[in-house]
Amino acid sequence: MPAGGSQERFVALLEEHRKILFKVAGAYCPNPEDRRDLVQEMTAQLWRAFPRYDERFRFSTWMYRIALNVAISFSRRQSVRARHAAPAGVELLEASADVSAAAPGDEDLRLLDRFLGGLEALDRALLLLYLDGNRYDAIAGVLGISETNVGTKLNRIKERLRRELAGNA
Amino acid sequence: MELDDLKRRWEEQDRKLDRSLRLNARAVEEAVRGRSRAEARRAGLGLFLELVLGFLPVLWLGSFIADHIREPRFWIPAMALDIFAIATFGGLVRRQVVLRAIDWSAPVLEIQKRLAAVRMGGARATKWTLLLAPLLWTPLSIVAFRGLFGVDSYAAFGAAYVAANAAFGLLFLAVAVRVSRRYADRAERSPALQRFMRDLGGRNLARAEDSLASLDRFELEPAAPGSEKAL
Repeated sequence: MPAGGSQERFVALLEEHRKILFKVAGAYCPNPEDRRDLVQEMTAQLWRAFPRYDERFRFSTWMYRIALNVAISFSRRQSVRARHAAPAGVELLEASADVSAAAPGDEDLRLLDRFLGGLEALDRALLLLYLDGNRYDAIAGVLGISETNVGTKLNRIKERLRRELAGNA
Repeated sequence: MELDDLKRRWEEQDRKLDRSLRLNARAVEEAVRGRSRAEARRAGLGLFLELVLGFLPVLWLGSFIADHIREPRFWIPAMALDIFAIATFGGLVRRQVVLRAIDWSAPVLEIQKRLAAVRMGGARATKWTLLLAPLLWTPLSIVAFRGLFGVDSYAAFGAAYVAANAAFGLLFLAVAVRVSRRYADRAERSPALQRFMRDLGGRNLARAEDSLASLDRFELEPAAPGSEKAL
């Protein structure tokens, strides 16, 4: 457990990178209640791992790894797990309505949500990292694959998106 | 529309998030501290109980074997049970060691492969436990009657009863596996029964193996010509 002194630092870093929690949870949990649980679980795991965080490396990379690992495991067991008791009313992330759901008429984002939801867990992670503007080397570092593999997979994802859009047209 | 068009739309949404998303720092502190303590307590107690329940049979059977070392008709079935109990306990300890050593900040593929391997080990152990249970019923009844009530099953019920028990175990196993393979999907109303049937029929093990194989494919997929090198 991190010492009390590092808690302020942790909260500050979490505040700075809060969007990662929001987006990873959104990509792996369509259900709002599960999403709240997942955000808490990711935050708890980040806190437990924080004493081992090496400040020479980017916090976002470290945070993406933990958040994605927790989210993928969470979504895998989601269908069979017993719901644990989260403290009622605690919302770690508060989003205004215009970002918590795609605005009416915002077909592009809905399309992207659907497409993300249809991908395998690791492909979804890869696309999420790409959409968030991460470089190939950073994506490769978070996922643990080569940069070339990142490029290949992204090309395949783009190809799949084209096919699905053509199929829907 | 291309992925890059959607990416631009995503970036616009990202800018909105900057303005609209707030972190409730007090909630973070409360949730993280309360949850960490509660989870650590729950996990610690659960593991302690599992280890005790796993190790008690090993101890008891060891003691039973020592007491009946000159009576092969008792120590042989006890030994079969003890080997099973030791293997089960060993598997439990090994899975716990692997799970506790996981560093969640390691690359995603590495962690997911490790978790998939643990799931596969768990599914394999459950499948074999269920498969062996009907076969172990006979030695278990011999040892339990003797150890707990001092009754000699061979003398009290006769060798034919013991042999019939073993034969029934085999028959039950064959029928249970067949039924599980055939009807697991229809047992949706009872998740516990469905999980049991999927474990017994080997479906959960197959799913865990598929999951690991899919992670291997993700890692080893060969590079296609023309893939971009940088953004």
